[in-house]
Amino acid sequence: MLKSESRTAYLCLAPSIIGLVFLTYLPLISVCVLGFFRWGKGAPTPIFIGFDNYRRLFTTDPYFIDSLKVTLTFSVLAVVMSMAYSLFIAMLLNRKVKGRMLFRAIFYLPYVLPAMAVYIGWSWLYESNFGLFNYILSSVGLPKLRFIADSSLVVPSLALIAVWLAGNLIVIFLAGLQNVPKVYHDAAEIDGANGWQRFIHITVPCMTPIIFYNLLMSLITNMQIVTPALALTNGGPGNASTFITYLMYRYAFVSNQLGYAGAISFVFFVIIALVTALLFATSRSWIFYEG
Amino acid sequence: MKRRVLLTVLLCTLLAVVLPAAGTKEAAAAEKVKITYSFWGTPDEGAAVQKVADRFNASQERIVVEIMAIPHDTYVTKLNTLATARNLPDCGIMSEAGVLQFAENGLLHDITDMYGVGDARPLDSLVFRYQGKPVAYSAANEVLLMFYNKDMFDKAGVPYPPTDAKNAWSWDEFVHNAKLLTLDANGNNATSRAFNPNAIVQYGCMVENLTWQLEVWALSNGGGFYTADGSKVIINEAAALDAIQKVADLHLVHHVAPLSTGLTDDGIQRSLIAGTCAMSTNGAWNVGTSLASARAEGLNYGVGVLPYMKEKVTICTGGPNVVFSQTKNPKEAMEWVKWYMQEENSWELIETGIWMPILDKWYTDEALTRKWVENPNFPPYDDYKKAVVDYAREYSRSTSWYYVNNTNDFNTLLGSLLGEVWTGRKTAKNAIEGGYTQLVSAFKGEL
Repeated sequence: MLKSESRTAYLCLAPSIIGLVFLTYLPLISVCVLGFFRWGKGAPTPIFIGFDNYRRLFTTDPYFIDSLKVTLTFSVLAVVMSMAYSLFIAMLLNRKVKGRMLFRAIFYLPYVLPAMAVYIGWSWLYESNFGLFNYILSSVGLPKLRFIADSSLVVPSLALIAVWLAGNLIVIFLAGLQNVPKVYHDAAEIDGANGWQRFIHITVPCMTPIIFYNLLMSLITNMQIVTPALALTNGGPGNASTFITYLMYRYAFVSNQLGYAGAISFVFFVIIALVTALLFATSRSWIFYEG
Repeated sequence: MKRRVLLTVLLCTLLAVVLPAAGTKEAAAAEKVKITYSFWGTPDEGAAVQKVADRFNASQERIVVEIMAIPHDTYVTKLNTLATARNLPDCGIMSEAGVLQFAENGLLHDITDMYGVGDARPLDSLVFRYQGKPVAYSAANEVLLMFYNKDMFDKAGVPYPPTDAKNAWSWDEFVHNAKLLTLDANGNNATSRAFNPNAIVQYGCMVENLTWQLEVWALSNGGGFYTADGSKVIINEAAALDAIQKVADLHLVHHVAPLSTGLTDDGIQRSLIAGTCAMSTNGAWNVGTSLASARAEGLNYGVGVLPYMKEKVTICTGGPNVVFSQTKNPKEAMEWVKWYMQEENSWELIETGIWMPILDKWYTDEALTRKWVENPNFPPYDDYKKAVVDYAREYSRSTSWYYVNNTNDFNTLLGSLLGEVWTGRKTAKNAIEGGYTQLVSAFKGEL
């Protein structure tokens, strides 16, 4: 009986296992191996070069270190802002307000819009000379801002788009909020706790597993950001929006340095793995699992 | 039973008639040399090129050409993959910046023999050379020009930009006229004391600052990105630095141009077509692409030659056709490419103004020039003849990717260095001198 059950289980798992092996693990190993070769530009067939690609990354590459900084800055900004925004909106949507379903749909909508359309739309808003935001700034007598054309503003500007796109986080937070036992709030209210105290001492602790999940997913997604660089900024101005994934794409498919792009991918994989491990390691001290 | 016998006899007769005929056809096809030509575009565009190839196929008995359509965005990647698999097509179109890289990797065939003695040849500025030998010819000629909005000029009472290069505006004249055309919300132009640079509603000009197009200003100022033989990077010399700074100062100092970071290839759309600028520099192909539809929607535009700093010059480029070295039939591939590059076979692109012809005769024989220019999308013949046809023949120089390798990496790095120049955080001198060592590495293919 058990054997038959196991067989069925393996059979059902097979598609996922095959997918994981061939679409995730084998490519990962290949990328790691590829990082030890020069292949593409100047080398039509792969040539083994040991750790040269990795050495070049941290010594002579004019983009990599900047790219790493930009990616981390963007991720931190986008994650912090979108977590705060999503939790705030989710709490508003959790109240019994009129047209609640409509508001939920409105806030979720950006997440399902086609990415290119979203970024092109935002490019019109951000346009440095005649964009809508600058039109509004000019009409109230404020100086124009260069948004995505200024190296110090481009990352915050793109992070703002990421926040606007965080509809999925709102939905997950909302689900979490609905699972916070009402009885805790009632008890606290009887004890005289105000709204802020209830939020800090009841809502937040009960929500920590959801916060952890959203934090992790949001961090990984934002670290792998590439679309705004492709659609809006081409990595500029300067290197100010050359995110690592974009740099990887540029080396692999524009400059045709497949081995080198493989090395970047592997280093980036290690960075994401470390960040994830760090989050998991610290999670034990701040996640509250009920019961 | 009778019916079965009858059917069998009929079937045998049919086979007896059809099989030998099929055999003959197969034998004939087997004798023909099959050539694959790769082309960037959608399957529909591929089908259109296949129709042209079918005309070639019908015109002779020895060669059959088949078109391989590859999406533009993944074109070079796909070719690189095919090269690695040693499975490149026989010939195809290439990106300009990729030609010498492919040649250096030994992937292109020497096409010195493509044109014989006495053949009408493409303009010399359209030949890609590697180690002195031609490895590609551009399928089209494209030069940089000045497009302008006639209505804005008329309203400001400013004379149109010259069409004859002999009368081309100097840079200072250009800036002065751009100031007259730059207006703030109160209608003051940029020469007026009351002009408010924070409330500009119309700019005088936009000089396209995509890195490859910037080269023309370095040349115009008596310098360049590289020496004339392509052996050394000289973008750090005063002539090039000064030229790039002058382009940046149009926005930063003179307030006559909008801020543009040189990252997106839509300058004409953002300036002339959007109605935000009176003049805009860009490539001749716009006559047949964005400007054609804008004119149909009411844009009254004209074309003139570029202003100059020290030398009157424009640069030319055009998607090149190559024969790949992995082909087993280089002669047949060259024969097809040569046939395909005749203007008659890409006439649709030429008569709409997207491509300019590559053979010299179209620039010198008035009947041919008129055949090319007197078509609906074009500005008036006299204007286009002087500002484009004569200008392209007498003043154009090859963009550096015709004779310098690794321009892709160089231009990407340069674009990244110049990002802070357009916003005024750095001067061209600081940005380029700071990145010069890396620019040289990019030039050498070490990035």
